Amino acid sequence: MSELFLVVVSGIASGAVYGLLGLGLVIIYRATDVVNFALASMATLAVYVALMVVQRGLGVGSAVIAAVLVAVVLGLVVRELVIRPLGTGRLFAALVMTMGVSLIAEAVISDVWGTEPHALPPLVGGTVMLGSATLATQDLMVIGVSAVAMLAVGYLFTRTTLGSAMRAAAESATTAQIVGVPAQRVARIAWALGLGLAALAAVLYVPRVGLAPTVLAAPLFRAFAGIFLGGLTSMHGAVIGGVAIGVLENLAASYVSANFRDTFVFALTILILLLRPQGLFGTRSFERV
Amino acid sequence: MRPRPTSALAALAAVLAIVLTACGGSPAGGGAADDGSGPIKIGAWIPLSGPQAASGVPQMEGAKAYFSWVNDHGGINGRQIDWIVKDNAYDPQQTVQAARQLVGQENVVAIVNANGVAPSEAAFPFVLEQSQVPIVDHYGGIASWYTPSRPLLFGTQTLYEDQAAAMAQWAVQSGARKLVVVHDDPKAFADVAGQIGPAAEREQPGVTTTAVPVKLGTTDFAPAVSQVKAAGGDAVMLVLPAPEAAAYLKAAALQGVSLPTYGYAPTASGTTVTLAGPAAEGYHSVSLVRSPTEQTPEMQQFRDAIAKYSPGQPADFSTLLGYANAAVFVEIAKTIQGPVTSKSIADAYGRASDVKTGVAPDMSFSAQSHLGTRDVQRVTVRNGQWVSEGDFVSAPERG
Repeated sequence: MSELFLVVVSGIASGAVYGLLGLGLVIIYRATDVVNFALASMATLAVYVALMVVQRGLGVGSAVIAAVLVAVVLGLVVRELVIRPLGTGRLFAALVMTMGVSLIAEAVISDVWGTEPHALPPLVGGTVMLGSATLATQDLMVIGVSAVAMLAVGYLFTRTTLGSAMRAAAESATTAQIVGVPAQRVARIAWALGLGLAALAAVLYVPRVGLAPTVLAAPLFRAFAGIFLGGLTSMHGAVIGGVAIGVLENLAASYVSANFRDTFVFALTILILLLRPQGLFGTRSFERV
Repeated sequence: MRPRPTSALAALAAVLAIVLTACGGSPAGGGAADDGSGPIKIGAWIPLSGPQAASGVPQMEGAKAYFSWVNDHGGINGRQIDWIVKDNAYDPQQTVQAARQLVGQENVVAIVNANGVAPSEAAFPFVLEQSQVPIVDHYGGIASWYTPSRPLLFGTQTLYEDQAAAMAQWAVQSGARKLVVVHDDPKAFADVAGQIGPAAEREQPGVTTTAVPVKLGTTDFAPAVSQVKAAGGDAVMLVLPAPEAAAYLKAAALQGVSLPTYGYAPTASGTTVTLAGPAAEGYHSVSLVRSPTEQTPEMQQFRDAIAKYSPGQPADFSTLLGYANAAVFVEIAKTIQGPVTSKSIADAYGRASDVKTGVAPDMSFSAQSHLGTRDVQRVTVRNGQWVSEGDFVSAPERG
């Protein structure tokens, strides 16, 4: 029983990271119609800056703040210099652009910091005993921080004027602009927020596995699975989808087969999408022709 | 005025010649002619970009440091070494392209210290068979490359299967009777892990083995550690890449699993210690080379060479492996009397015995055996550093 508990909690901790990444993807997608494939690489670059902060003895807390700030600035720079000039409605061009940015970010990381993995200390050390299972305090911290971040984003989008503006821009940037919503400002905020969340996910995840140029490639893949499972247009769907993927992959690895862990998880995702194409929490969109 | 047919034919012939040259056609018999002067041109393809660059870059820097050191100390019998490296990004297509450039355009006489088992195999037909250029001291390799011996292909690293047998032998000699093997699930890992049970059984009949496969790229080892606990073993054998081995060690320490743990050579790495931190303490691994922290003149020369020629790189296993491969090549090339050609290099390898570098096992080759060693060095993490345990030991014979 304690094994099952451990497997589930560990899966939730992994899934919380996928959920945060997925949330960042969905916020940017909803506000600007851009699927940001560079999210993970840019967040990774920010974590390398955080590593430099730690190496200078400024503490992990300062490193987390530095990572988020760097990611926000990077997000704004890429949005203004690379994505904005494309104009609106250039979904595939923007997608290719973000892929290019991702490759450039990885090349910069490899060139500046090398390809050898580095250790980043956890935000909190120590362990917690729950029954006969031992959990890393960092894992519980990941779950807690992710939950707080998700609730804060939920509050922002449903209870504030800015959130309303972002939702309006997501529905139709042109219409929103006509009624006085500053679409460009909203887009900038969405990119900053999305990258900030991704950097937060990265600094929480990296202490578990080590920091390498492509460390977030696999979590990004699972975050995408999570947002499709939860619904591409739903913020809480992205989070729940990510957590579901994290738990399912651990359960599959432990009780089905390690070999078919991903197969099992993605087969289930495909099955759900066949039954409900908009995902578990997404809404079907209709276009007038 | 219409061009004359002979002019058109000449132009066509010229174009064909250019195309053939660009395609890397090389005279049978291998590489360029050698007049006994000028640098000895050799080459390699190594992943310098992409995920495999983590091992490729330090491997290249280690070899480069050794060749630079040799060049500054008179070269090979008075001749400088010109080692040309191409990035293959661990991609078969790019490897073939790199091979064509090295053999066809750069006219290298041998491929030395190349990296990438599957990518290199893609280049074998062109390099070994068509161009007759030897590939020596390859980084990694598989049993089918050397059994039976393949013309012009010579290896210097103990095979993964032999490493697995050697770690099983070590665990059993240390008293373990129930081994739990945690391995990645792709066939390449499963085949290596599959050598542990038979080797342990041969060492001590009655030893049992339980396999715990995990997905390649696993970062959350909590489920695997639970399975290890449930298996009730008395030693754990890891057939995982270094970052995953580190993640396992951390998860095991967290769950209070303190069984003796052994790994194969890829885990004998600075990465394991860096990422696992205190959880790596006491971890055992077999290694292809001596511990880079040893206080011997040869190892001091290695550390000095890295500090001088590759100052941005650590003097650890990752650089030492490339350095050792370069050292084996130089020791064998020194024995060549006369022109250094593809053929003379292959001949020199075929008769090389007792090749000493001081950092890797002594190597011996023959017409029947193109793999220079089956030895490993036992190493253990103590106080955050890899420490050698005794001298090199030979891997037990596999069934």
